[in-house]
Amino acid sequence: MQRYSGFGLVKHALSHHEHWQKVWRSPEPKKEYDVIIVGGGGHGLATAYYLAKEHGITNIAVIEKGWLGGGNTARNTTIVRSNYLWDESAALYEHSMKLWEGLSQDLNYNVMFSQRGVLNLGHTLQDMRDIQRRVNANRLQGIDGEVLDTQQVQDLVPAMDCSASTRYPVLGASWQPRGGVARHDAVAWGFARGADSLGVDLIQQTEVTGFRKQDGAIVGVETSRGFIGAKRVGVVTAGNSGVMAEKAGFRLPLESHPLQALVSEPLKPILDTVVMSNHVHGYVSQSDKGDLVIGAGIDGYVGYGQRGSYPTIEHTVQAIIELFPIFSRVRMNRQWGGIVDTCPDACPIISKTPVKGLFFNCGWGTGGFKATPGSGNIFAWTLAKGRAHPLAEPFAYDRFNSGKLIDEHGAAGVAH
Amino acid sequence: MSDATTLDPQAVTDADAATRSQTSVIDQRPALDVHLQTARSPLAHLFTARADANAGVVLEEKAFLGHLMLRGDPAQSGFAEAVEVALGLALPLTSSTLNLNDAGVSIQWLAPDEWLIIVPGEEAFAFEQALHEQLSGRYQVVNVSGGQTVVSLSGAQARQVLMKSTPTDVHPRAFPVGRGVPAVFAKATLILRHVSAKEGESEFELVIRRSFADYLGRWLLDASEEFGVCIKA
Amino acid sequence: MMHIFCPYCGELREEEEFHAKGQAHIERPIEPEACSDAEWGDYLFFRNNPRGIHHELWIHAVGCRKYFNITRHTVTYEILETYRMGEQPGITAETLAAEQLAQSAAASAASSTTQQTGDARP
Repeated sequence: MQRYSGFGLVKHALSHHEHWQKVWRSPEPKKEYDVIIVGGGGHGLATAYYLAKEHGITNIAVIEKGWLGGGNTARNTTIVRSNYLWDESAALYEHSMKLWEGLSQDLNYNVMFSQRGVLNLGHTLQDMRDIQRRVNANRLQGIDGEVLDTQQVQDLVPAMDCSASTRYPVLGASWQPRGGVARHDAVAWGFARGADSLGVDLIQQTEVTGFRKQDGAIVGVETSRGFIGAKRVGVVTAGNSGVMAEKAGFRLPLESHPLQALVSEPLKPILDTVVMSNHVHGYVSQSDKGDLVIGAGIDGYVGYGQRGSYPTIEHTVQAIIELFPIFSRVRMNRQWGGIVDTCPDACPIISKTPVKGLFFNCGWGTGGFKATPGSGNIFAWTLAKGRAHPLAEPFAYDRFNSGKLIDEHGAAGVAH
Repeated sequence: MSDATTLDPQAVTDADAATRSQTSVIDQRPALDVHLQTARSPLAHLFTARADANAGVVLEEKAFLGHLMLRGDPAQSGFAEAVEVALGLALPLTSSTLNLNDAGVSIQWLAPDEWLIIVPGEEAFAFEQALHEQLSGRYQVVNVSGGQTVVSLSGAQARQVLMKSTPTDVHPRAFPVGRGVPAVFAKATLILRHVSAKEGESEFELVIRRSFADYLGRWLLDASEEFGVCIKA
Repeated sequence: MMHIFCPYCGELREEEEFHAKGQAHIERPIEPEACSDAEWGDYLFFRNNPRGIHHELWIHAVGCRKYFNITRHTVTYEILETYRMGEQPGITAETLAAEQLAQSAAASAASSTTQQTGDARP
C-alpha cells in the first residue's frame, strides 16, 4: 500500500497525478475463505479491517451486491456522538468514539472526522429533566457532556431562534463537545483500502442469494457468481438484514423503514456544530462543502423503496425552519432515502444466530454511522473468537425472548 | 336497567331495546343571564371585529353552538327514522355527507357508526332530549358543546386559505357543497365542511377543538393576511 | 404520496390522514401465562419484514378512526387491496406467485402453438 502523505502529493503532482496506485484490487473470488463478510458498507469493511489487523485473519472476503459503501453508508447524515443513556449502549458508542478519534491516522486516510460538538435541544420541562438524567449518566460512564441553558445555546448557535416567542422555545440542551461529523464515503474507502492492503478480497457486484448449511452449521454462501465456502460468516447488511435472516432460515425482530435526508445548496459557513431536536423533530449540520445536511423521522411503514414520503419531507423542513427561520429561503438540492432496520428497543443486534458459525450485526436503526469503527471492531472480535465480544454480549438476539431489552428510544431520539 | 352506553352486546335484549334509555341527561348550558355574563368562546381573544370592504377572506366564530356526537348502528331497525324525527333532517348514510337546514341544524357523517350534530346553542338540550326520546336499543349521544367551536370561512379567497393549510382536495369538483370530512390542517386536525356556495363564493365551516383553537385561530389569521381579512364578531 | 382507499369511508384519501400500525393479523395468545418465553417474545417483538407483499394494520386516524388492513408491496409501495377488520386478505404472496405461474404457462403454451402452426406451413 502506498502511504499517503504531503510529500506523496507533491511527488505525484510532478506527473500530473496520473500514477496513483489503485486504492484497492478487484480480485476474483476464491473457492473458500476463513471468514466471509456479507455486505461491503462501512460496518462490513471495518469488520474485515479489524479482523485482519487485530486478529491476524487475512483470508477474508467481503461480498457486496452493489458497490462499496453504496447503501446506508452513502445515505446517512454522518452524525457521530456517544451520549446514550444506558451503560450498555453508552459503552458501545464510546468504544466507537475512541476509535473515531484516531481513525484518520490509523487508516492513513483522512476520514474528515470533525469534533464540532453535538447539541440535543430541550423544549419542555420533561425534555430538560431527560437531558439532566442523560448527562449525569454520561458523566458516570466517563463520557463528556454538559447541560447548557438557553443563553449558552444561543452563544453556540447564533443563527438559531432561541427567543421565548417560538412555539417550542429552546429551554436548554445537552452538549457533547467530542461529538461531530465525518465524511461518510471516506470512512468506507479508508476501511476498504486498509482491509485490501492487509489481503482482504473485496468482491463487488456479487449478490449473496443463500446460505449453505450442514448439520446446522454454515459451510458457505451461494452467490450470483457461484458457491463460496467459509466456516464462519458475518452478515452486516443494514436495510436488508431481515431478508438475509429469512434466507438463513430464521426471523429477526426487525422492521425496515425508509429514512430520508436532504441537503441544501451550499452556503457560506453559518453553523459550526450539529443541532438535534427530538421535540421539534429534526436535525441539521453544515458540511465542509457548505450544504446544510438535514434529516428527521422515518416513515411509519415497512418499506424497501430507498425513497420516502412527501409529508415526511414537509415535516422535516418545517422543523428546521421552526428552529432556524433564517433558513426559510434556502433551496434544497437533493433528497434521498435509506432503509433502516429498526429494533423494538432502538438498539442493535450483534450476535450469534441459530445457525452455527453464522453471525449477524444489524438493527442499528437510524444511528448506525456513528458506530462504524466500534461496530466493526467488536464484530471482528466476535467472529474471530466465535463468541460475543464483552461489549456485544448485552446485544444478543435472544434478548427479545429473555426480556432483557435496552430501551434507548429516548437517547436514540430523532432518527439520524 | 338498560344503559344506552353499554358495551356488552349480551346486555342488549329485545326487552331492553324496547325500553327507553335511562341515561341521565343534564342541561350543560347555564341559565341565559349566567351564560351572557361568564361564557367565553375559545376564539374570543383572537377574533376581534375587523372591517375591510375589500377583504378576500371573511372569518367569523360561530360561538356557543350545540355539538352532539351520535353513535349507533344505522342497520338497527328504526335508528335512521328516529334520528330524522328528532332532528327534522335525514341521517346521512353515505360517507362524508353533510345534511343541513335553514334552522341551523346539521348532521354530518363521520364514520359508519358516528355522526356530528350541530344545533343552535340554546336548543342543544332540547335536541339531546329529543334524540333520547326517539332512539332505543344500543346508541350513544354525547354533548360535546364545551369542547369545540366553529369558524366560518368565506370570501373570494377562502379556498386559497384552505389550499395552504390542508392536504385535503378542496376543489369544488372534489369538495362540493354538502361534503364534510375530518382533515389534517396545519399539522393539527379539524372537521372541514362546505356549507354553501352563493354566486361562486363558498362558505366553509371549520369545527375546531377548544385546545387547538388558539393555534388554529392564529394560523387562519396569518394564512389569510395576504388576501385581506374581515372578521365578523 | 400514497393515496389510500379507506374501506369504511369508501374513498381514496391522502396518506397523511393515516397511521401505519405494523403487521396485521397478529393474535394475542389466549393464555399469556401458558406461553414459553420464546412464544411470548415472538408475539411481542418478532414481525414479518418482507421485501414484497406485506399485510399491514393501518388506522384512518384523521377520518373515520377505524382500523383496517392493507396488502402492500414494500418495494414499489403499490397498494393491492384494503380490507376491513376481521376479513382475510384476497391477495397474498402465494396467490400472486400462482397467478404469475399460470400466466407464464399460458404464455408458453401460446408461443408453442404459434410455433406448431408455423412449422405446419410449407
